[in-house]
Amino acid sequence: MIYSELEISPAGDRHLLATLGDDASLEANFITLHFTAELDKLAIVGLTDLIPSYNSILIQYDFNLLDFYDLCGELIRIYNALPSSSELEIASRLVTIPVLYFDPWTKDCIDDYRIKVAEREYDPLFVARVNNLRSPEEVVARHSGGEHWVVTVSSFPGLPILRPLDPRCGLLSPKYNPPRMWTPVGAIGVGGTSTSIYTIPSPGGYNLIGRTPIPVWDPSQALSAFKDNAILLRASDRVRFAPISREQYDDIENSVREGSYAYAIQPGMFSVKSYRTWLAMLAAGEAAEDRLSP
Amino acid sequence: MTITVLKPGLETTVQDYPGRVGMLRNGVPPSGPLDDWSFRLANLLVGNDPGMAALECQFVGPTVRFEQAALIGICGGNLSPKLDSVPIPMWTSLRAKAGQVLSLGGAVGGARAYLAVAGGIDVPIVMGSRSTYVTARLGGIEGRSLAAGRTLAVGQPSVVVGAGRSVLSAHRPPLSNGGIHQISVVPGPKHDWVTSAGHQQFYATGWKLTSRSNRVGFRIQGEQIEFSHRAYEKDPENGDHPSNIIDIGYPIGGINWAGETPIILMHDCITLGGFIVPFTVPSGEFWKLAQARPREVLRFAPVSVEEAQEVRRGIDEICSQRSIED
Repeated sequence: MIYSELEISPAGDRHLLATLGDDASLEANFITLHFTAELDKLAIVGLTDLIPSYNSILIQYDFNLLDFYDLCGELIRIYNALPSSSELEIASRLVTIPVLYFDPWTKDCIDDYRIKVAEREYDPLFVARVNNLRSPEEVVARHSGGEHWVVTVSSFPGLPILRPLDPRCGLLSPKYNPPRMWTPVGAIGVGGTSTSIYTIPSPGGYNLIGRTPIPVWDPSQALSAFKDNAILLRASDRVRFAPISREQYDDIENSVREGSYAYAIQPGMFSVKSYRTWLAMLAAGEAAEDRLSP
Repeated sequence: MTITVLKPGLETTVQDYPGRVGMLRNGVPPSGPLDDWSFRLANLLVGNDPGMAALECQFVGPTVRFEQAALIGICGGNLSPKLDSVPIPMWTSLRAKAGQVLSLGGAVGGARAYLAVAGGIDVPIVMGSRSTYVTARLGGIEGRSLAAGRTLAVGQPSVVVGAGRSVLSAHRPPLSNGGIHQISVVPGPKHDWVTSAGHQQFYATGWKLTSRSNRVGFRIQGEQIEFSHRAYEKDPENGDHPSNIIDIGYPIGGINWAGETPIILMHDCITLGGFIVPFTVPSGEFWKLAQARPREVLRFAPVSVEEAQEVRRGIDEICSQRSIED
């Protein structure tokens, strides 16, 4: 449910949490990210940073420039003036991420966990089984078969949390328990209904199904795709995962190292109305296209 | 001007204030000194801007050699600093001669000391800050804590001040005695996931700081507090545990109910997650957390947003030249 009134709660002396709804639906996130885009556009003096999530935004402010209650009033005013969700048009780039599914590096990581922490099924087999798929290849077909939506970029630097826009691409799987102590950079993980791309050698709980040779986080900002920002993916971007072979993986890795890799990024807009129409057609069996084309 | 690290100490890092600003939405926490009160005073002592890069020394400090003469200032927890084995005062600027060795030992009072050098520690600026964020290997010396044998470059001071300047006694953060720290918290966000009885339990409990506490988070041990119906009557997408929620952006200082053990989110924390944060430690209380030692007790009391902001303003006023006497 999307709240008719914005729920605001303080979070210490210089943050507040604005909550827009009580579920983690894509619809709630569309409004959250549109609200975020409005705040960016308005560039409110004293609003210093924000973290959009599924249905909420954590806002950091400088209380010497911006009074807490004035900010609350301003946020409520902006929220109430947002267009209805069916009219939302959100800036959204389409980014292609090449993936070597069932790569040797995440396999090593899983094996390490099996030896040191707990026996478990090889993640791609596990994900296939819990989704009633016949083989890991069907996991690939599903995961790479449509577009995913960047809900937020957070937790660790540049780490995107993605949800499938195409319901046919959805995978549902329980996360590791206990979590892994380490994960290779570039690992593609799925957990719950989300996908993520590991950006640092961090602990983690998502099931590992592949690895990308391209950085999505570059603090040195040496690669041209990172000229303006150390993160590749931003909330409200869309992602397609493109299966590649080991040879292609090595070639891409080399071109990244040489600085010549050209990231596939298409600018665009995302219309919630078109998306809903497409979903309805899909449900009615009328959308023949395998890819999303709002 | 350079400094050679002879012994690194327990986990000594380069930090600046206020750290990485505006990067939360990229998943990058601010980092920076945990006790920014002591940190800024150390810089002011040696004529630096209050935010310049300096060393944060935790529990056991480093031993370093000054390859050229330097003006230094040490503030914060008492790590028994010595220059060529002779005890030296804290909260006072003093000159180290070329070749002299400064050693900081184990903390005998508080937990973290700040070593500022006139000119500031000169490491590359990464995403707007020199602060070290070890988790992602950002800033500082290759994103790591100090290691023996490394050298630290020091910048050219823009203002030259002398030795013998000191911080007015009344303007130093009052280190707690008796091992009990009174910490204010602002209720929220998600305070309504805890019953009013749960709030009272939280304030009545002496929370023991555990040794599993670092720049990412401080784990505290106390009692199980009572969650409200919101924690139990929720959609499954919130997660299985009563303290699970749909992921929210985490405020620094948030007291994060990750399962049974609450974690206070510190300056190198993750920026988003799926556990409730019913209370938040405001920024003006962080110096107390920074100087608390494992097994010491934290007691929390609620304050309003305005009260918390007023405390912070007071500290910011203290962190200025008016606290330094020649």
